[in-house]
Amino acid sequence: MKHISIDPITRLEGHGKIEIFLNDEGEVENAYFQVPELRGFEKFCEGRPVEELPSIVTKICGVCPGCHHMASGKAVDGVFGVEPPPTAKKLRELFYMAHFIHSHIAHFYALAAPDFVVGPTANPAERNILGVIAKVGLPIGSEVIKQRRLAQEIQALLGGHQTHVVMNTPGGVKKGLTQEQRDDIVKKAEGFIEFSKFSIQLFKDVVLGNKEYLDLILNGPYSLRLHSMGLVDGQNKVNFYDGKVRVVDTIGRELYKYEPGKYLDYVEERVEPWTYLKFPYLKKIGWKGFTDGQESGVYQATPLSRLNAADGMATQIAQQEYDYMFKTLGGKPVHATMAMHWARLIELIYAAEHCLELALDPEITGNELRAPLGKIVGEGIGIVEAQRGTLTHHYWTDDKGMVRKVNLIVGTTNNHAAICMSIKKAAQGLIKKGSDITEGTLNMIEMAFRAYDPCFSCATHSLPGQMKMILNIRDNIGNVIDTFIRK
Amino acid sequence: METEKTLVLGIGNDILTDDGIGPKLIRDLSLKDIPAEIIFQTASVGGLELLETVSGYSRIFMIDAIRTSGGKPGNVYFLSPDDFRETMHISNLHDINFFTSLELGNRLNYPIPSEIIIIAVEIAEDLEFSDELSPALQKKYPEILNKVYKFLQEAMLSDISKAHH
Repeated sequence: MKHISIDPITRLEGHGKIEIFLNDEGEVENAYFQVPELRGFEKFCEGRPVEELPSIVTKICGVCPGCHHMASGKAVDGVFGVEPPPTAKKLRELFYMAHFIHSHIAHFYALAAPDFVVGPTANPAERNILGVIAKVGLPIGSEVIKQRRLAQEIQALLGGHQTHVVMNTPGGVKKGLTQEQRDDIVKKAEGFIEFSKFSIQLFKDVVLGNKEYLDLILNGPYSLRLHSMGLVDGQNKVNFYDGKVRVVDTIGRELYKYEPGKYLDYVEERVEPWTYLKFPYLKKIGWKGFTDGQESGVYQATPLSRLNAADGMATQIAQQEYDYMFKTLGGKPVHATMAMHWARLIELIYAAEHCLELALDPEITGNELRAPLGKIVGEGIGIVEAQRGTLTHHYWTDDKGMVRKVNLIVGTTNNHAAICMSIKKAAQGLIKKGSDITEGTLNMIEMAFRAYDPCFSCATHSLPGQMKMILNIRDNIGNVIDTFIRK
Repeated sequence: METEKTLVLGIGNDILTDDGIGPKLIRDLSLKDIPAEIIFQTASVGGLELLETVSGYSRIFMIDAIRTSGGKPGNVYFLSPDDFRETMHISNLHDINFFTSLELGNRLNYPIPSEIIIIAVEIAEDLEFSDELSPALQKKYPEILNKVYKFLQEAMLSDISKAHH
């Protein structure tokens, strides 16, 4: 059996490794995706006052600190048996929209667009944000940086710091919003809406206007029929901050809709011997292996899954784009992995529109920022939608609120099984007996992975040193017979 | 615009064992006597956000953790961006590679620093949550701090950084 190793994964958060095993015929037998897992977070939290956790968890990840902060804030509210007052809840949500805006802009322009705007098999030295800007023009590059920064400014204002967020306190938030600050956010939000509309138009022009790309989205080796998960509001519209978790099956029928507190009745995690990262699956269906289809227990929790799992978007332009995407791609649900990029841009529009709605809401400048704490319940569960999937924080404390136990299911972990399957399917579609395996082939395999916007940054703050992309081809007893190095 | 200022930036996560070496050094260095106006700052971000952090400074010293094959924990390397050119297009660090980000800043006419010196400390452990350094790095810490302090002192006095180019 031949063995291909791609390490590290380029252009994404963190440090991962894709292993592709070929059989004696030179076709893909299996594919594995491995990441180093961080250890000891639970131990680090044990014995601390639970109200410290919302600030500590922002350090789990430099990419989605705001998501951890929100899920944690909600779990801590649960521990203290308290619901934040409307102003506090809306301020949290306003912060959260800004968090989505900056993250989705970064993913599209820095991580997704290079494959489409520059080309999936283009020279890797140009297939990056620099190449994108060379094609679309410098003013767009400046606009990307500017809009991202404005979203960060909103986070810094409301969160106390743009990454080490200290906004949430049990039962509410620490700081309110003045009229002047609100007026400033309104202006920024109007700009976000315009930029979001521009971005989705760019996607349509570049991707939908190109038959080859459209074919890649719809018919390429990038499709998995899996169940879809996402938070929905009372009208079954996509919601990032609050609501019930809804799961629809591979043909779009509602399987479950549950309160976050019941998540353990619906989601279970499987351990595999070859990786430390767990594989969540739908408990009531059970683990049926790495298979797709209606019988599978594997689900996805991605921007596309959120759109599949909901009946629509809660804002006007996003709803129009939602309808257009499903119409163009042949109805709901959509299972094309590459459509995640499209869904992410529809979410960007929703976040921008909702940012404006919240900023214009009279309650946003209210003074009631915190509800009186109830009796310590000793257990709290907070679920939000992170950019990368449904994020669950579950805390147990003693009767004084000191942490006894912590359980987290982070966004990317939900998709672990799906990511492995997407990589395998892409590899099987792209590596054929006797065909040359080029850098472009490898990149197109990675595109399956990149669509998920997976994030493992927590482990990888250290400098990359002299890392290269290495492809080893091994014979059936493990000897390296060829090496491919990408610089 | 802070055109003449020097930024010493410690990058890393201070609850991830040795990954926190950058921020820890910043905290200790900022208490020492450094003979010029220097801004000390920590960051746990990368790519596009670092671009904004460093914009407007004339010179930056970035202190970060590094792992090299065969390196010993506590080794300190003084490097320039040129040492990383080879990795420029294959980022695995944060959103985009910092050096790609700098190049982006260049093309967009950002006031990016004219001098960038990277102080990289070889680490042993960055996969375990802890607010303490690993024993191997802890043992070397006074030596590391001293080495970095002296380097900064000399750089500020004699503008040694020019010699790096």
